[in-house]
Amino acid sequence: MSRSGARPDGTNDRPGPNEGTGWRVMSYLIGGMALYGGIGWLIGRWTGIAVLFPIGMLLGLGLSLALVVLRFTRS
Amino acid sequence: MSDIQTMTTASGCHLFSGCGYPAPSIEDFYFKPIFTIGSFDFTKPMLLAILAAAIVLAFFGAAFARPKLVPRGVQNLGELGILFVRDQILRPQLGKKGDRFLPFLVSLFFFIWIMNIFGVIPLIEFPATSKFAFPVALTAMVWVTYMTLGMRSQGPIGYFKNMAVPAGAPWWILPLLSPIELLSNIFVRPFTLSIRLFANMLAGHLLLLVFALASWYLFTFSIGLLFAATSFVLTIILTALEVLIQALQAFIFTTLTAFYFADALETSH
Repeated sequence: MSRSGARPDGTNDRPGPNEGTGWRVMSYLIGGMALYGGIGWLIGRWTGIAVLFPIGMLLGLGLSLALVVLRFTRS
Repeated sequence: MSDIQTMTTASGCHLFSGCGYPAPSIEDFYFKPIFTIGSFDFTKPMLLAILAAAIVLAFFGAAFARPKLVPRGVQNLGELGILFVRDQILRPQLGKKGDRFLPFLVSLFFFIWIMNIFGVIPLIEFPATSKFAFPVALTAMVWVTYMTLGMRSQGPIGYFKNMAVPAGAPWWILPLLSPIELLSNIFVRPFTLSIRLFANMLAGHLLLLVFALASWYLFTFSIGLLFAATSFVLTIILTALEVLIQALQAFIFTTLTAFYFADALETSH
């Protein structure tokens, strides 16, 4: 990314977006889907409403997208 | 060599000889113990891990046993390796103040790389990192280090607070977002770090096995010869690809380690 101020000679001590950012976004997406999908699955098992599992996953996906926007667009 | 490979090569199982293609499977990743002490089996992957550690130690030992201001011979290579890790992996993530992590990252990179490269070395032909335990152990070290770093630089409470509360988020959405942050930083990170390395090495080794075994299986004096030649050429091409992936996976593992360290040291986002 061209916005990054990090240079190989290490003249910048506060690096901008880099390879790590992409992996971090992925980790948020997985985390969100796993957490809310898991909660949805548990409640769905408990109440017998199976559709709560995909709903939870979608909700988690949406929330982790919101998190990505919050974390990476307002710096 | 695992049982299936031995069976294939020893029995001369070929096309049109009445036996099916002995497809490689996960069985090929389990080895007969080299020796056994009590209930402890010492297997080939363990030997390879020790060998990899010994190679890294011997190489850097030889390179810097008597360091000269103007490097020559193996010292040149050693400096090249260390400067690569410093300038391509450490500095872009951590900046100059991260130089104290250089020994750890250099060891990590070269240890993983050597273990990966074993996958294409003739007669060894097994990437030790395709046994899940090795990536997991390495990831555990990284995990403990970055959690400790974070708690030491920001305080135990401050670390988790900075981790869980994204700046600029409205307060009412925090109960929904904070669990994702915590889960992704504490559990998903080490999970993906280890899985990425392990799965890449496992899949790469399987792929090479499929085409190498197919080349041998199809090798008959018939139309099979053509198939065998094709499969053999693919084996060569895929080996080149594997060499690339092995270096790349070691690079990614180390880069992400540096990134997690930088993230833990950062006081606010």
